[in-house]
Amino acid sequence: MGGRQFVAILRKDLIRELRTKEMLISMFLFVMLAMVIFHYAFTVKESVDLTYFTGGMLWVTFIFAALLGLNRSFAQEKDENCLDGLLLCPVDRVTIFFAKMTGNLIFLAIIQAVAIPVFTVFFVKHGYYGRLPSFLLVVLLADLGICALGTLLATISMNTRARDLLLPIVFLPLIVPVLIAATSATTAIFSGGSEFGPLGAKLVFLAMFDIIFMVAAYGTYDFAIGE
Amino acid sequence: MILKRLLTAPALYAVAGALLAAGLLLAFLYAPTDTSSMGFSQKIFYYHAPIAECALLAFGIAFVAAILYLRSNDPKYDVLGMVAIRLGLLFSLLVMATGMIWGRAAWGVWWAWEPRLTTFLIVCLLYTAYFVLRQTVEEESRRATFAALFAIIAFVDVPITFFATRFMPAGLHPVVFGRGGGMPGSDLLAFFVSMIGMTLLLIAMLRQELAVEHLKEDLYHLKNRIGA
Amino acid sequence: MPEAADTAAAPSGAAPDIEVRELTKAFGRREVLRGISFDVERGGFLSIFGPNGAGKTTTLRILATLTAPTSGTVKVAGYDAREEAMPVRAAIGMISHSPLLYPDLTAYENLRFYADMYGLGDRDERIAELLDRVELSHRRYDVVRTFSKGMRQRLAIARAILHRPRVLLLDEPHSGLDPRAVDILDGLLAEIRSEHTFVMVTHSIQKGLELATQVLIIDGGKAVFASAGGVDPSAFTAVYREHVQEGSVA
Repeated sequence: MGGRQFVAILRKDLIRELRTKEMLISMFLFVMLAMVIFHYAFTVKESVDLTYFTGGMLWVTFIFAALLGLNRSFAQEKDENCLDGLLLCPVDRVTIFFAKMTGNLIFLAIIQAVAIPVFTVFFVKHGYYGRLPSFLLVVLLADLGICALGTLLATISMNTRARDLLLPIVFLPLIVPVLIAATSATTAIFSGGSEFGPLGAKLVFLAMFDIIFMVAAYGTYDFAIGE
Repeated sequence: MILKRLLTAPALYAVAGALLAAGLLLAFLYAPTDTSSMGFSQKIFYYHAPIAECALLAFGIAFVAAILYLRSNDPKYDVLGMVAIRLGLLFSLLVMATGMIWGRAAWGVWWAWEPRLTTFLIVCLLYTAYFVLRQTVEEESRRATFAALFAIIAFVDVPITFFATRFMPAGLHPVVFGRGGGMPGSDLLAFFVSMIGMTLLLIAMLRQELAVEHLKEDLYHLKNRIGA
Repeated sequence: MPEAADTAAAPSGAAPDIEVRELTKAFGRREVLRGISFDVERGGFLSIFGPNGAGKTTTLRILATLTAPTSGTVKVAGYDAREEAMPVRAAIGMISHSPLLYPDLTAYENLRFYADMYGLGDRDERIAELLDRVELSHRRYDVVRTFSKGMRQRLAIARAILHRPRVLLLDEPHSGLDPRAVDILDGLLAEIRSEHTFVMVTHSIQKGLELATQVLIIDGGKAVFASAGGVDPSAFTAVYREHVQEGSVA
């Protein structure tokens, strides 16, 4: 039963987004514009090697792009009062959480599938293809953390007066650990440098973050989504 | 009865003040001057560290209050959580202030991206967001619920943030706080006296703030009764 | 009522479908409900009247498990609304002034979504049957955004009765509809009247009394008038005036 409901919510969100594309388009435009802006912000003299900055650029961009998506994912439920319809259903609130989280994860991954190749072609001067699997693992683990915490906080903020204004204020300081770990892991991978410490520790750290906040959401989601 | 009177805010303030003064005297007159690179400026540690412990203690109290609120829906835990976070935020700002003074004296810059200091900077931003969140919810029970959720999430996030701040390329910043080396015995006495004093100060302030909040509540009901 | 009966086996057949005892609700310091009690028998139709802010919608939302009561007991279809929310949710359908439909999904996709959420076994047959019934079969593959308000409300009815709920909750279903849509809605309500137990919150005395087997007037969070039988419409306006001081909004 829970599985069928999970699929139903996810399916509905995917159909909706693929039909209107409003979220994906705005996320995509944001990512591309951020890239251009970063280029001009960091190119302090001609032919600067931006490899060392690419990790930071990527993750700052992804976190803000994720914010756009997270806000949208609940705005549509709230706009037409559809949240009431969802809450009327005999569904575990946690199922709603995991379905929404998965949806946000998919949208973020779609954006990254376009943005990462573009960013790296433009900025990364070293070959990193040998380390591609570990890079993808970093992306997956960081995305999970962003979407787990983000979905929980988006649920809370949509129920407040400020709605989408509140989310960045509560989300950004909490997501800093993921930003730091993902950035430092990504920079290490792109530059091939060993001065960033072992990659394994960061992967374990990101995985722990994911687990902790999924458990936290599991325990508190009933309160977050409404009485 | 006597115990109860000793636990009132004024009595706690008196004891806390005495202990903090004693800690200060011990730190300057009794404890030896640090022989490592830190030197005399290390004295600020006797206040800096207790303040940091108190900030975390306050957030811990808010965390427990949040869990109790979600279990009972009793508004008194909401008030306790709010007051504790307010004080925790105040102590965190003091941690940053003392930390910056120390940094200036010890290695000549007002700010270094040192893990503990960075963590407290993020903590300040985090718990400021708590009050923004409270501002944006009008309905009281919902506000209390969301505030409790946030207090829980934030407190879980603090140690995680501290771990993350250490993911920096080695060698880019000096390792400043080598507390692992341990302190001479005479330092410990001054340190603990200050720490107990600071903790009592926190509790005294907590009690006073709670009393103020209760008075506000009473005032609200009185106003309601006369129809103001 | 064979259709309504197979939703969920009630613990006891004789108990009323809705049982509310000493229900109170406070939003922080603001008391919205101050001790309301009523029963609705199987197949009954309760209309709740009252001025704005009297607590009508809150009562309905508590019955729907969307809001938690502060104290008192609420039983729907024999289940406690707080302790056994899941079977209560399976046993209720809700029609409110917003249709609770996703505008960017088609009529079929909307119903399919809810059918999956309620775990319907005969999903596609049931959807086809209901789309026929609300006369929207020809628009099944159109997105709801293109529907008129009346069409949306018809689809909302299909959504609400999709899982054959024992109890239907109606929150001012007529508000914002044009006269023709009101007629269609009334026709549909009359049609499904025998299949469900109803609770309706309304401002319209005429609409509220048409189908009601019992009425309740709430003012300031309290039940100020209750009648277990039908009420004579011509006398009711006077009754309402007598019990509700206009402007005494809580």
